[in-house]
Amino acid sequence: MTKIFQGKYKAILLIFLYFLYFSSLLMGCSHKNEEKVTERLRIAEQYGLAYAPLQIMKTNKILEKNLPSIEISWQQVSNTTAIREAMLSNKIDAGFMAIPPFLIGLDKGMEWKIASGLSYSPTKLITNKNNIKSLKDFTKEDKIALPQPGSVQHILLSMACEKELGDSHKLDNLILTLSHPDAMNSLLSGNGVTAHFASPPYIGEELKDDKMHLVLDGRNVMEGDFTFIVGVTTKELYTKNPKVYYGFVKSISEAIDFINKNTEKSAEILAPLYNLSKEETYKLLTAEGNKYNTKVEGLEKFSQFMLKNKYISKNYTLKEVLWNDNDSKR
Amino acid sequence: MIMIAKDKFNKLFINKIFIRIFWMAIFMLIWEMIYLSHSFSPLILPSLGTILKSMYSNLLSGELIKETLYSLNLIFKGLGIGIIISITLASLSFVSKLFEGLVETLTAIAHPLPGIALLPLIILWLGATPHAIVFIIIHSVVWPLALNTYSGFKSIPKVYRQIGENYELSILQIIYHILIPASLPYFLTGLKIGWARAWRALISAEMIFGATGENGGLGWFIFKRRVFMDTPGIFAGLIVIVLIGILVENLVIVNLEKLTIRKWGMSI
Repeated sequence: MTKIFQGKYKAILLIFLYFLYFSSLLMGCSHKNEEKVTERLRIAEQYGLAYAPLQIMKTNKILEKNLPSIEISWQQVSNTTAIREAMLSNKIDAGFMAIPPFLIGLDKGMEWKIASGLSYSPTKLITNKNNIKSLKDFTKEDKIALPQPGSVQHILLSMACEKELGDSHKLDNLILTLSHPDAMNSLLSGNGVTAHFASPPYIGEELKDDKMHLVLDGRNVMEGDFTFIVGVTTKELYTKNPKVYYGFVKSISEAIDFINKNTEKSAEILAPLYNLSKEETYKLLTAEGNKYNTKVEGLEKFSQFMLKNKYISKNYTLKEVLWNDNDSKR
Repeated sequence: MIMIAKDKFNKLFINKIFIRIFWMAIFMLIWEMIYLSHSFSPLILPSLGTILKSMYSNLLSGELIKETLYSLNLIFKGLGIGIIISITLASLSFVSKLFEGLVETLTAIAHPLPGIALLPLIILWLGATPHAIVFIIIHSVVWPLALNTYSGFKSIPKVYRQIGENYELSILQIIYHILIPASLPYFLTGLKIGWARAWRALISAEMIFGATGENGGLGWFIFKRRVFMDTPGIFAGLIVIVLIGILVENLVIVNLEKLTIRKWGMSI
């Protein structure tokens, strides 16, 4: 018996034990994966007024009600690019983003489509320089802050450049990538960026300052309303988990209904999350241009512009980018 | 005859460049095989063909070259200023004990700080201009270089300095004619470290920073590719970064070594 623990026998025993240990880990791994595929929904969580229905979904436990016995997990992601990468590496099933980044991903081969619209939001270009009244007043020294190239703000800016200056790429070199809070701080400080393509509540905060004024309104660029944020899911979720997919879409629609019918109660729920008072939150929720709806509007306009300016390689109609045509027509 | 052929074959195999190319070829083969096995989405692991195509089209459009030259311009500016500051700091430390204490304290605080961590602060102070990036490069270069140069100065046998004093050389002349050449091995080590840190800091800063005017540099090039989901383009940018690193480390610095410390027999 004692011979087993001596010399080379010891080595063999150890190797054998390690082998058992690792193979049991691996066995556990693959078993878990198979079991979990049909029982989970992983959603990319983002903060902001435009994502308000998500917070309502979370607080009112709407998903848990519609999908009992499904494991729901919310994962923090910083931006759309991170959502794309997380979907590619199979870490999340659903995310929310603006239409242009969705189209870019689709065009490059991402197997995703839109499940539902989420919100319409005002988006405006604000500057702290008095002499800038329109796009042609921007000079090489100015900097325009927006979340990233390829974002809806960038595309709106390019659209406006094409309309007013004849060249959609004219102001591309003035872009600085900054998150909304950083951009606002830089704009308000006076010696940072000269303009910020903002969303609420930053629009309100910035315009409170007398030195700031509006240069461009997203709605004017698009010549009408357009959906700001849409909900997107992977092909896997739609084809392999239709039960979970439909539960997800239904939950979004219920959350949106809740906000629209109980706006005051929603303001109460959301206020602490945004660090604002209930009244301020209510004002933002009911502001002009801010609404929650499952419709998807404006996609074809984005698609045509982006195709023309080579951001994408082919045109997309609304029908071909929706998983299920009926869900988003209300 | 066979002996000569065998000998030539061995010599070829041992040739450093050949070995490197051999391993690179193996690596590329494995890459392509993984791609062809379709275990990963082409958005994560594109084929070598698409990567090369992307490199070609980016080179042709001039964008890759423009951004690379912009990055190189920034880093050489930073390196130049950094070298001057490092030699000054090392020299002052050598001459005055009080200053030595100052430099050591500064180094202890600043050396562990990655340039990227300082970037938000630098942008607040210097604004969103290329000056901020050059500052980060200088910060990445100065501390290791000054440290190494000063070690080099201290390691010089006292006799050398005494010879200089015999010749009644001024302190500046001593630094230029004696200290710097004698401490060149240490200096070049510090330069290698400084270059590596500065190059990495530059690329990461450009990614976070964005375009400052016309260009944004290689880091910005890669960032734009990422945002537009152009994975082959990302790899094309990465290849350029690696190539430049290899070029500078293996051509510029090694040749500098050959011309100075190896020729003088100071190191192998």
